[in-house]
Amino acid sequence: MSELLLEVKNLVTEFNTENGIVKAVNDVSFQINKKEIVGIVGESGSGKSVTSLSLMRLIPSPPGKITQGEMLYHSSNGIVDLTKISEQEMRAYRGNEISMIFQEPMTSLNPVFTCGNQVTEAILLHQKVSKEVAKNLALELFEKVKLPNPNRVFDAYPHQLSGGQKQRVMIAMAMSCKPKILIADEPTTALDVTVQKTILELIAELSEETGMSTIFITHDLGVIAEIADKVIVMYKGKIVEQGSVLDIFENPQHPYTKGLLACRPPLEKRLKQLPVISDFMEINAQGELLEKEASVAKAINDRIVKEEETKARYEALIQQKPILEIKGIQTWFPSKSNLFGKPTEFVKAVDNVSFDVYPGETLGLVGESGCGKTTLGRSILRLVEPTGGEVLFEGRNIRDLNASDLKELRKDMQIIFQDPYSSLNPRMTIGNAILEPMQVHEMYSSDKERKEKVIELLQKVNMLPEHFNRYPHEFSGGQRQRICIARALGLRPRFIICDESVSALDVSVQAQVLNLLIQLREEFKFTYIFISHDLSVVKFMSDRMVVMNKGKIEEMGIADEIYNYPRQEYTQRLISAIPKGRLEDIKARSLIK
Amino acid sequence: MTRFLISKLFYGVLVMIGVIIVVFSLFNLLPVDAARLTIGQRADVESVEAIRKDLGLDQPKWKQLMMYFKEVSPVSIEDNTPEAKEKFKYLPIVQTSSEKVLVLKKPYLRRSYQTKRDVWDILIDALPQTVLLAVASMLLACIIGIPLGVVAAVKQHSWLDNIAMSVSVLGISVPSYFSAMVLGYFFGILWHSWTGLNHIGGLFVIDDYGNEILEWKNLILPSIALGTRPIGTIFQLTRSSMLDVLSQDYIRTARAKGLGRITVLFKHALRNALNPVVTAVSGWFAALLAGAFFVEVIFGINGLGFTAVDALLKFDFPVAAGTVIFTALIFIIINILVDFLYTILDPRIKIGK
Repeated sequence: MSELLLEVKNLVTEFNTENGIVKAVNDVSFQINKKEIVGIVGESGSGKSVTSLSLMRLIPSPPGKITQGEMLYHSSNGIVDLTKISEQEMRAYRGNEISMIFQEPMTSLNPVFTCGNQVTEAILLHQKVSKEVAKNLALELFEKVKLPNPNRVFDAYPHQLSGGQKQRVMIAMAMSCKPKILIADEPTTALDVTVQKTILELIAELSEETGMSTIFITHDLGVIAEIADKVIVMYKGKIVEQGSVLDIFENPQHPYTKGLLACRPPLEKRLKQLPVISDFMEINAQGELLEKEASVAKAINDRIVKEEETKARYEALIQQKPILEIKGIQTWFPSKSNLFGKPTEFVKAVDNVSFDVYPGETLGLVGESGCGKTTLGRSILRLVEPTGGEVLFEGRNIRDLNASDLKELRKDMQIIFQDPYSSLNPRMTIGNAILEPMQVHEMYSSDKERKEKVIELLQKVNMLPEHFNRYPHEFSGGQRQRICIARALGLRPRFIICDESVSALDVSVQAQVLNLLIQLREEFKFTYIFISHDLSVVKFMSDRMVVMNKGKIEEMGIADEIYNYPRQEYTQRLISAIPKGRLEDIKARSLIK
Repeated sequence: MTRFLISKLFYGVLVMIGVIIVVFSLFNLLPVDAARLTIGQRADVESVEAIRKDLGLDQPKWKQLMMYFKEVSPVSIEDNTPEAKEKFKYLPIVQTSSEKVLVLKKPYLRRSYQTKRDVWDILIDALPQTVLLAVASMLLACIIGIPLGVVAAVKQHSWLDNIAMSVSVLGISVPSYFSAMVLGYFFGILWHSWTGLNHIGGLFVIDDYGNEILEWKNLILPSIALGTRPIGTIFQLTRSSMLDVLSQDYIRTARAKGLGRITVLFKHALRNALNPVVTAVSGWFAALLAGAFFVEVIFGINGLGFTAVDALLKFDFPVAAGTVIFTALIFIIINILVDFLYTILDPRIKIGK
């Protein structure tokens, strides 16, 4: 019944790096049938993106090169080995028979051409049609990918569209020549959960309708559960497990797959800590893989917090005097100004928001991008100047502080940013990056003493003392975020704002960082405001939760209660958009097929 | 769009006012008697006094400054007399009172001490040579610098890239008067019989029938001399900007569409890479328009630079001051044009913000 479309046999892609040759894809073989959606999962560096770029022959060369293997594409004119044909011939396949969409919709479209221009360019390249026809085809495609007002989008430049809309334009472009295979490389990772849901639905619909096959690449097994028929799990350049989506979820074999399944924050249960990959497997000194925990269910159940404990903790928290009181805070940005530069209209990023935070508590702040949660976090620290309201930290209004008092306060209140790649200075060793704020605040008597403290901190966040003299580029995203955490901890703050601190990380790394944050909270009695667009993460971290929308609070309350009984329609939408990866959903989906 | 233009023009006027104040102060600080320079050393006391009065030198400094402003401004209120009309060559718009009239005129930058000619006319006469020279050298620099930069970026670390990089450093470091002298000596004098190029020669010559014609070959050496440094800068900027753009995601998108190499490079990449190049080109261009002092002097081209140097050597202050003000005007106009160009090149830059 199913017809073979693409056969990859023993593919090896190598990169020539300073440390010798690295096999980014190492002996990978798989098959894709017509109309099939195949998910490839793995964490960053597992070789999943390199695999997809190899299929398109888009590996940056040098340093990359396909050195072995075959990619047999069953085209209408017979079987073609994509590794053997010339660059010239390959171009006829790219964008025509096999097309691709990428992770970053923000940067994947050329900023200086209109969206319409970029889509018609692909059509005119591969099809012999007139410009008129190409335009009509593009408009039809925009309609198909459910872009509002296709005519407007046609003439719009990418920066005038939202992230989700841009990804739809990318999909329209990829679909423009009715490809046989669509490769989607983390197409929803940079998007909000609500937008992610609509994009996933769109891809599923389009492949159903047009009969194309899809290769869907992601680090998140939850997303795979929503869309894929078959799953390929990759780890360190190799395929460790592949099978139907139901098999993988119901009965995972490889410990890595089990780790990936277990490390997503569960929605129904409250856990002390999240299971991580290293709970399931370990690589010993000889490079052999040792299996540890065998059952996903057991790993999760071992970590459950009893309802009474949660309740007791909450009761104890609210008995105290709030550490932070926010009263009617407002942050407005001028959007239009008259000829003399006097603002006449405002964007109300944060509009009359009030809440309290108790010592030792974690308050979750959740909402879609653009809801004002980040601005709120920054306004509390006065990194952005609020335009109204009061922020009382231990009874003192932060808005009244002068520069020297504010500097004093920065010691107590710290922030950990979203992007671990850009929030560390690339020319500063990580040791110095952590040391610098201590110098600024004249903590400890000498640099020698400070250095000892830094090393202590590095160990606290599970890094090694010898990392002191290394530079940020030598570390992975998760490690960098831990360095950022160490930097924030260096000042011995009592209050920390985590602004989307795990959003740029893989789920498996995210679990480690979340565990670290929780462990540090217990140890140092920190108070957190935890900001994220992902309700499942916020729920895992927080005691109480604030749902924000359009600069205002939609809903506020105990985290579990909001999840179980959301009162506002907006909150319900956020919750339903979370990919849940439930077995019964997968079964239902495969039944329909 | 109109608002953008108005605000740019408004700031332009502010800058001009500042420049005029600075120029006025500088030339007033110098211990030179303008009246004496105007009329010459052997004039009698009465004539000097008359001139002094005419130039307003008996007035307090701030009144002199106001007078200067009024003279320079293209719109002003002047005496409705034949003498004033002769002096400013104005175009009356509205009669404001019985003796005064609101007029439109070309900026009056006073008269040269040396030739007694209107300074504005002198500068306008010098402008075509300078514009021609500036355009020719910038075109040369762009035609060589940009494609070379693109190729070097694509073939990064190749022999071509390495050689081009080293040569461009050399090109940037050589002062243009030096290359002008070297070029002039070798191609204009030593190998003159072979190249047919002149060491010294104006851009416009009078032919046998009395018409002014453009002498193309006299443009070659000066524009190479002036273009050498911009070639280096433009090459390096294009190269680094292209390297940055080529690693962007949308270049991968363009390749994933199946586009050919040339389209990806010149359509998708180059346009994104041009912004810093445009900034550099416009800066150089404005600087060249302001007069390539040494090069014009060396090749004997009587453009703005030549005029300025000449005026300074002869203490011809009205001409020298006029050149500075004129140059400021050129810079402002070019800057406004470049701001427009940015919005065309990059739609993300919004007009009026």
